[in-house]
Amino acid sequence: MTDRLEPDPVQRLRVMAAGIPGAHVTERVVPAPFDVVWGVMADLEGEFGSFQPDMKSVRVTHRRDDRLEVLAHGHLGFRARFDVVLRPGWCWMQSRFLLIGMAAVPAGDRTRVALTGGTRVPGRAAIVPIRVRHETERAMLRLAQRVAER
Amino acid sequence: MTDDDEAALVRAAQGGDTLAMNDLLDVLAPYVARICAPIAFASGPDAAQETLIAVFRSLRSLRDPRALRGWVRSIAVREAVRAAERDARAVPMDITDRPAAHDGELSADVRDQLARMAPAQRAVLVLRELEGLSEEQTARLLRVAPGTVKSRLHRARDTFRKAWTA
Repeated sequence: MTDRLEPDPVQRLRVMAAGIPGAHVTERVVPAPFDVVWGVMADLEGEFGSFQPDMKSVRVTHRRDDRLEVLAHGHLGFRARFDVVLRPGWCWMQSRFLLIGMAAVPAGDRTRVALTGGTRVPGRAAIVPIRVRHETERAMLRLAQRVAER
Repeated sequence: MTDDDEAALVRAAQGGDTLAMNDLLDVLAPYVARICAPIAFASGPDAAQETLIAVFRSLRSLRDPRALRGWVRSIAVREAVRAAERDARAVPMDITDRPAAHDGELSADVRDQLARMAPAQRAVLVLRELEGLSEEQTARLLRVAPGTVKSRLHRARDTFRKAWTA
């Protein structure tokens, strides 16, 4: 019997993705401890742009408990305001045109990571199903590389 | 959170607000775990995960947001009984597979007795004693006759009585 009765963050991500048509979840074990991996993933103003494709910089404009508002700038010049939930192992970001979900749980001395997201069908809980898998896999690869550089 | 708050959350999630989906998941995860754990034991977390996936996949089909809990409960019970019956076919129930002590709902004695019951009998107990449903509501949810609920409940209570008076 496991001690866990409620879903862990990676399982939460799969539940969220189940409710978002077009979403794809990329999951991988990153060979580094949770604190190191989540240190990179949760550093929105520092590291986030280093592994999320098309994301150049992020600035936190408001924070209250686990709720944040951030302003993101993309490499192609777009600006987007995101509403964010950020907790240990869990980050969910929503703007009018983008959804990004990140989750991580300890797996021994390594870390199980799951990513989802993509271009949002405006105003809907749905993702435009174009290059979704490619983009999340690219983000995962860049995240693993960034963690390895630490 | 009031019923009105919860209904508003459902409506927002149905309308495409994924942050409302996040908040709804916060509300439903412990509720689903509380139902699945005493019925499915070791497979409780798997049943809870299957339940939440089914709920989120079909959320837009829920016409009355105020019916959320009853709708989720029926899916959770179905998934938990299915998981427990699958386990029972695979290997006989191991008494050590019972829910952990920190589940906050069940004492060790109750867990021991629950572990000796059939999954469908545990489902009746959970619905009647933990969820407070009537015999008619329980019968409707489990798709059995009210008399079946009555007899399962009688046998379950009898099991407890014999265990504690022996």
